[in-house]
Amino acid sequence: MNIDELMVLDIKDRANEAYKKIHEVNDKLNAVITFIDDDGKRKEGKLAGIPVALKDNISTKGIRTTAASDILDNYIPVYDAAIVTKLKEAGAKFVAKASMDELAMGGTNRTANIGPCLNPYDDTRITGGSSGGSAALVAAGIVPLAIGSDTGDSVRKPAAYCGIVGVKPSYGRISRYGIIPYASSLDHVGYFTTNVKDAALALEVLAGRDDKDMTSSFAPVENYSEILNSDVKDKKILVFGNVYDALNDEVIKDRFDKVVEGLKERGATIKVVHFDDDLMKCLFPTYFIIANAEATANHSNLDGVRFGHRVDGTSMEEIMTNTRTRGFSSFIKKRFVIGSYSLFEENQERLLKKAQRVRRLIVEEVLKELKEADGLLAPAAGTIAPKLDNTSTDELSDEYLIGENHMVIGNFAGLPSITLPMGYKDEMPIGINLTCNAFKEADMFDIAQAIENITGCKDMIKEVA
Amino acid sequence: MEVNEVKELAKMLMFELTDKEANEIIEEFKTFDKQLALLDKIDTEGVEEMVYPFDVETAYLRDDVPDHVLSQDEVLANAAKTKQGHIVVPKVVK
Repeated sequence: MNIDELMVLDIKDRANEAYKKIHEVNDKLNAVITFIDDDGKRKEGKLAGIPVALKDNISTKGIRTTAASDILDNYIPVYDAAIVTKLKEAGAKFVAKASMDELAMGGTNRTANIGPCLNPYDDTRITGGSSGGSAALVAAGIVPLAIGSDTGDSVRKPAAYCGIVGVKPSYGRISRYGIIPYASSLDHVGYFTTNVKDAALALEVLAGRDDKDMTSSFAPVENYSEILNSDVKDKKILVFGNVYDALNDEVIKDRFDKVVEGLKERGATIKVVHFDDDLMKCLFPTYFIIANAEATANHSNLDGVRFGHRVDGTSMEEIMTNTRTRGFSSFIKKRFVIGSYSLFEENQERLLKKAQRVRRLIVEEVLKELKEADGLLAPAAGTIAPKLDNTSTDELSDEYLIGENHMVIGNFAGLPSITLPMGYKDEMPIGINLTCNAFKEADMFDIAQAIENITGCKDMIKEVA
Repeated sequence: MEVNEVKELAKMLMFELTDKEANEIIEEFKTFDKQLALLDKIDTEGVEEMVYPFDVETAYLRDDVPDHVLSQDEVLANAAKTKQGHIVVPKVVK
């Protein structure tokens, strides 16, 4: 059930099904790291009694928070993240800390220390990541709202693979205080729902200035769900030509064409844009260098001394080395080595600084067009959710470099961005992505609701129990 | 890049790599190098590095009043070994 449907029930009953079903569903999906029991308390608010799942990189006072890494396997935060406080004040009931890629550094949810999270539509396929556990719990109908984080497309890609709505608002729109970081200049809090109206309501609860996060914005929070209006008559929407051209799946392109046609019929002005192709091919390497370099620095505090799973040694250095050797998976260690390589003084000009300069050029290139329009539209992913054992990606192809990585533009530029379902292929959901101008979340929800009306893809749930 | 160089890099990051892990990194660097060539093609002469998304002032100096304070017990709650209000580690000066 979505939030509106749950709200019809008595406040004390709204989360009952979620608390009951989540164990059974988790046996099939492996989406939960820690279950949270019902404390029986209920509180009025915009999310009164509504069951919510939290990605396991969100600090919860007194509740284990591991970021799906062995190094934090025993970590119990002594404070709540700002958004946890906000959700509690709105009456939300937490049911689980959800699985994720280790330290959020992946796009498959295969790297969680508890093993991969499985897609509710097909348990031989990935959910996408890094917020895969949160996505699976929404797609399976356990919770109508789950919180994730998005550094490259970690909410918006799993939303596409699981047939739900995934939102990453503007940089600074939601406080990151208490979120275990990945790459600070790219990290955003994001979330999943099953429809656009619920997504608009959730942002009212989550957004707002927080003095504990110096990147948090003073921009006023609108009543997004009340002003929601699917009229797109005066909207100018750009179609991301480079992405469209890079993709090979005709079913995905056909569904996308139908959405564009529907927007035209509703009076929107559509313009196909092609950004500089050489810049677009740099999306992934630019992201990869910046994200890994920032992550390497951010995670230098994971040493087992003050918190986390300590492995003993005869000296401080030995404790840290033993702790980090045992605590990180091979995958994470490899990413840190690449990140550290970019940070070396002799490599900084060619790698990190180069990537940061290209980041600016990419952002300027996109904003040149987007500033004159209301949104930028593209298929969210080039394929349906890949198989768990898929290793056949060509990481030098346009399909990968542009088609599978274009959503990182939202992180580079801090733009609000939403993925929503647009249909199926082989009984698997496929998604469409819309990116708008900074702090124009209301525009984003309006256009997204028009798309939802065109596709009829609303409240898509795949029951697995 | 050689296995020993990769292992040296890891040492600086305070973890160890197996030969298998080091070889996998060397393999990944081959793809990474080709992707870097794409960056090399871009003329970035005179372009300022972008290190955050917006030029919007959100930080300011607050009054010097203690805020969201953690107790000593809370600070020590996650440490593996503690004694008399301190975190216990092996002797640093020997």
